[in-house]
Amino acid sequence: MSQISRRQAIALLGALGFGATAAACAGPGGSTAPGGATGPAAPATGNITGKVSFAHWRGEDKAVFDELIKRFEALHDGVEVAQDISTSNDYNAQALQKLRGGSIGDAFATFRGAQFKNFTEAGIYTELKDSKAVANYQPGLLSAGQSGESQLGLPYQVVFPMPLANVDLFDKAGAEIAPKNWDAFLGMCEKLAASGVVPISWPGGDVGNGGQLFNCMIANNAPVDDMCAQIEQGKLKVTDDWFLKMLGQYKDLVPYLQPNATGTAVEPAQNLFSQGKAAMLATGSYHIAAVRGLGAQFPMELVFPNTSDGNAKYEGVYNATFILGVNSASKNQAAAAAWIDFLSEPENAGYYANQTAQHVSVNNVEYTNTDLKRLSPWLEKKTALAARFQFLNLDVRNAVEASATAVISGASPEQAAEAAQKIVDERI
Amino acid sequence: MSTHIGTAAKRKAPHSHPEPSATKVRRRSPTRVNPALYLFPLPAVAVIAFFLLMPTLQAFQYAITDWNGFSAAFNYVGLDNFIRAFTGDSLFTNALTNNLKFVLLVVIAQTAFSLVLALLLTKNSRGSILLRALFFFPTILSSVSVAFIWKFIYDPNFGLANSVLGAVGLESLQGSYLGNNAQALYWVAVTQVWFHAGQMMVVYIAGLQSIPRELYEAAEMDGANRWQQFKSITWPFVAPATSIVVAYTTVQSFKAFDLILGIAGNPPKGSLDILSTRIYSTFANSEFGYAAAQSIIFMGMIALVTWLQRRLLRLTPKGE
Repeated sequence: MSQISRRQAIALLGALGFGATAAACAGPGGSTAPGGATGPAAPATGNITGKVSFAHWRGEDKAVFDELIKRFEALHDGVEVAQDISTSNDYNAQALQKLRGGSIGDAFATFRGAQFKNFTEAGIYTELKDSKAVANYQPGLLSAGQSGESQLGLPYQVVFPMPLANVDLFDKAGAEIAPKNWDAFLGMCEKLAASGVVPISWPGGDVGNGGQLFNCMIANNAPVDDMCAQIEQGKLKVTDDWFLKMLGQYKDLVPYLQPNATGTAVEPAQNLFSQGKAAMLATGSYHIAAVRGLGAQFPMELVFPNTSDGNAKYEGVYNATFILGVNSASKNQAAAAAWIDFLSEPENAGYYANQTAQHVSVNNVEYTNTDLKRLSPWLEKKTALAARFQFLNLDVRNAVEASATAVISGASPEQAAEAAQKIVDERI
Repeated sequence: MSTHIGTAAKRKAPHSHPEPSATKVRRRSPTRVNPALYLFPLPAVAVIAFFLLMPTLQAFQYAITDWNGFSAAFNYVGLDNFIRAFTGDSLFTNALTNNLKFVLLVVIAQTAFSLVLALLLTKNSRGSILLRALFFFPTILSSVSVAFIWKFIYDPNFGLANSVLGAVGLESLQGSYLGNNAQALYWVAVTQVWFHAGQMMVVYIAGLQSIPRELYEAAEMDGANRWQQFKSITWPFVAPATSIVVAYTTVQSFKAFDLILGIAGNPPKGSLDILSTRIYSTFANSEFGYAAAQSIIFMGMIALVTWLQRRLLRLTPKGE
């Protein structure tokens, strides 16, 4: 080897550094969205074989999906489906970056709202409008997966983000389970408190779960149905009278929440409810399986905190989420689409629903799970689509919801609303 | 190996170059090595360039754009992201304030606590060794485990803290802990100190055990009391250890990301939001350009605070 002089060595290192600098200066977003200018294409067709990665956040449903995967693999020789599960928070924060390359998440799920919108803008969805699966869904529940004329995703789950009630404790207290207005709701809480239980167990220390109550509180208070979108756009303000009225109603709830509610995480809140120490768990129907897992034997119902003065527009709230899609960057779209078709068949959707105690938006599903059967009438009621998922900016959503927590902590509705509006204004 | 190359170079030198003049020989450094040796760090330099230098430079570039993290299109916005962070984003300034408060609390408490522990446990007796192991134990736990342990300690309904207070008749002191916005940061600081004080204690013990015993004996003979001995012997001798402890604790406290996220959830509420969690939230909110600007401010903040601490505590001699 011929010798390299010191000067040459330094030049070489310099060139390396320059190369690194030049490489680093390549502009962000160097690749175009897979959807391209012509809009999303339908998933590629072909043999249903090879490996399929299914990315989602429902760790608690892993065993149920494992069983469904076994059935799917038995139908198609040579296909293998593997679940890629993240926690819901991590999935919310990182899924887009992880999935856009297509190395994982041939089939995937997204949350309704900001995540669905970002996935759409990034061109990750394929067009499912003409898929076999789409015909299996209740048309009214498909809107959460639509973008313009396209049906990009299929909202699989129907959940009710309303307080769960321990029917036994309600009966014991003689409390009405379906209050017709706000005074009746407070009267119901009063009766429950008088019977010696905590009326509402609320996980105020957990932003995601604690915020579900917001869906109920805002549904009948807001002047329009897209109130959260309008708050984000600056058309409505949280300092408006209707919002202050809602914050005042949050204040009314303080005597009926467990002590130190703003410091309670979701697991202790579930424990209070499952042990019969609290009559309601202010999260939603998606916690039924977890509460049963903690040993709760009592019958459960849903209670809608009716904030109206008697002429409510809505009888409850629901959310259509877990929006299934096929990744446009996937190398195995045919098998991924077949997996989504398989999940969307009534028999398989029914298995998923009954095992996980969650309703699905697939037609002709037979609910055999006792809790689902009991709550099925809610599918027919006049319910509002959960409003908090209209927020596309998570900072705005957190600030607006934090105003309710601040009121429960002792702030006045006006103070809390002003603090939240300041953050909203900074982001308009 | 270097000797071999050096020898070969010497053998080759007379054939390739004329005899060096006496002046040139005098100018040559005694530590001069064969230039081929400069190639040896190349793999390490390449790794650093690829994994450290490039991402850092990219962060600087992203910081002047409005890139959302996935679009092909973006605009250069100059210093707007930096201006927004300091003048138009109360969430960022709140996180910055929280972080500085958290660093101050933890640095003072952890440094003092670990020094006191080290002073009490310097001797290599069996009891001391056992206690050192116990105090060191939290360090080997993962931060997520620590977060969940303390989350349940602080739970107002079933948590250990309120249960113990209730059991000894101090119900009036029971509280909401993390649910109290005015106190939440202090309770997380307690957790952070519990988590890392044992590790810092070990650094101090190493420093204390290197102090010659004769100095204390001489000081005793001169009539110095315990405080005077500490002030004139112990403290100056543990200054290098203190320098390590303070710098490490500062960086650790700035980056208490996993502890905060584990204990407060994602996103953490305003009273527990620190710079690292804020940057994460901004990335999650698809504001990559702005998050990159926040990251650069964060990096500068750590460097500035560490430098200031070292100067103020006189832990860095002049000229270093």
